[in-house]
Amino acid sequence: MNPVAVVGTGQTNHAKARPDVSQPELIREAVDAALIDAELTSADIDAVVISNMELFEGRALPELWVAEGAYGAGKPVFKVATGGTSGTSSCIAGFHQAGSGSFDTVLVVGFEKHSEGHTQTGMALVDPFWDRAVASGALGNFALSISQYMAERGVTEEHAAQVAVKARRNAASNPHAHLKMPDLTVDDVLNSRMLAEPLHLLDMCPQSDGAAAIVVASGNNARKRGSKAAWVHAAATRHDQPYLGDLDRRLITTRALSSAAASAYAQAGIADPLRDFDVAEIYEPASYAELAWYEALGFCNDGEAGRLIGTGVTSMDGELPVNPSGGVLSTNPVGASGVIRVAEASAQLLDRAGDRQVAGAKTALSTGYGVYAWSDVIVLRSEMP
Amino acid sequence: MTDSQPEYVSVTLELDTSWRYASGDPMDQFLRRVAQRRIEALRCPDCGRRYLPPRPFCGRCRVPMDEWVPVADTGTVVAWTVVHLPIIDGRTGEPRPSPYGMALIQLDGADTTLNHYLDTADPELLTIGARVRAVWREHQRGAMDDIIHFEVLP
Amino acid sequence: MILESAIKLPFSYAAGGVGSRFLIALRDEEAILGGRCETCSTITCPARSFCSLCHRAVDELVEVGPCGTLQAWTEQPGKGTFGLIRLDGADTSLLHRLVGNADEWHPGARVIAVFVEKRTGSITDIEGFATEGEPT
Repeated sequence: MNPVAVVGTGQTNHAKARPDVSQPELIREAVDAALIDAELTSADIDAVVISNMELFEGRALPELWVAEGAYGAGKPVFKVATGGTSGTSSCIAGFHQAGSGSFDTVLVVGFEKHSEGHTQTGMALVDPFWDRAVASGALGNFALSISQYMAERGVTEEHAAQVAVKARRNAASNPHAHLKMPDLTVDDVLNSRMLAEPLHLLDMCPQSDGAAAIVVASGNNARKRGSKAAWVHAAATRHDQPYLGDLDRRLITTRALSSAAASAYAQAGIADPLRDFDVAEIYEPASYAELAWYEALGFCNDGEAGRLIGTGVTSMDGELPVNPSGGVLSTNPVGASGVIRVAEASAQLLDRAGDRQVAGAKTALSTGYGVYAWSDVIVLRSEMP
Repeated sequence: MTDSQPEYVSVTLELDTSWRYASGDPMDQFLRRVAQRRIEALRCPDCGRRYLPPRPFCGRCRVPMDEWVPVADTGTVVAWTVVHLPIIDGRTGEPRPSPYGMALIQLDGADTTLNHYLDTADPELLTIGARVRAVWREHQRGAMDDIIHFEVLP
Repeated sequence: MILESAIKLPFSYAAGGVGSRFLIALRDEEAILGGRCETCSTITCPARSFCSLCHRAVDELVEVGPCGTLQAWTEQPGKGTFGLIRLDGADTSLLHRLVGNADEWHPGARVIAVFVEKRTGSITDIEGFATEGEPT
């Protein structure tokens, strides 16, 4: 693939509900912000990739309805719908389109209006023969996987609560974030309502309305921008077997994530993730998931994630700040959440992350995670590959 | 009128449709046996993994499977939870009665784990490693919820 | 084995800025609004948030109809009769039901909007379109 770079990003201010905008109007907000950030107009866009799922908001062909919001009428428009990874996979699709030489500038936009749909139920409406009668939905799936993870790797509720606290405190510096809780404590998390044992309310991501967009430029176009480009050094995607019970210990082995990470790290020459990355935006739908991702992504050995969160290494002033944006734990419009990971990682490299900026960030990691079976890993750098 | 908040309208629609799905032969055979209170798994000829639910190919080895092996309706809890915030059942639009227990169960004779309901009558008994047995409906129709839930064996 | 599996779920969608104004006009004034693009003056009906040609956001809404010209129509047994209607003043056609006598339908026929009495802010606040001159 030819070199490509992210040259602009835009997001809505994510919220519990946006009754003032229709779905096309929602994505227009994010798209306009991204075009302004990229110093481009809609006429410069050659193709559009849209990230969203049909059944979460219960309408067929969402891209047909919303494409005008992305200035898509008359252009090639494709939708990518892969659960939580939709956003990161859409970005990767955009990278491939721009990298193919067929498109110079590609717009990627992801969105969700949870206030208008049923995500948990949408996730359970899979195999009509097996899953619909007994599927757990996101909450149940995570709770099941987490019970195994805790037993095998020794993480505690307190370790998970520390992740939840870090996320919401970081979000307080992010104007786009849905949940901002600068004074959140571990006790607040442990005392919050039990959703599905052992997941407390504050251990889980919210359901948000929001949209996020990035503009991807091919090499020549991006090269002209000098330091105003976040270059793609690696992109890897893995999809796994369909049923929750197919793979024992899913959250623990995280086969799709470790495999995608191994591939991406090899592509980008990452040998020691803690040292080589300056910032990471990883897709953590639950507090415990971030701990499991520390192990799968090689930030620490198996069984050490609980210790790692306690050291502060992944805090804003640590060696590798993880999720300065507040992560999925603070903001979760599912179709947008993966795009937000790439947008936030890019903004860090473009030095446009405002109060959540990690000074001098040059190498960034972003990841996506979908249902219980899909993972994306993307490595970005401020230097050209 | 110009100073007041604009009124925003929402349109409410109910999706109320049904579809007819062909099961394919492996699932057909599997569910016919479930209707007789028998559970069987498909075994991969290459890696030996015994799969529930059945599917025509082993995902890992990418070879067809046609060897059926018997599976007990007893097993071991590998993971469990009690859900307090109920999911809305997409088939009816109604929330499932909560709280309800769910587990990943390693049935004796299978290598995949089964995601199913767990009887929470005695919460003290819910642990990883607990032995469980299926509680069947009085009349089976050949579906995964012919098993009401799994009860923990004392 | 064939399994019949239902999906039954309620959804609620925000009509948004332009959409809300359109639906409120139907509900409160029995008026049909088109959206006028400031750049090219194209008027979409129903009023849409963005101009199809220029892509810019639409802000100005103007009343169109209630009369218009039938562009095309079809009858689906058991479901009803549907038509594409170019309302007077609009540049796009509206898809809606036709009410009244089927003998009158032909491309070019003049039609008029028929409103229901109990309106809620929905496209079905319009019951359908009848031939002009037809008793309503």
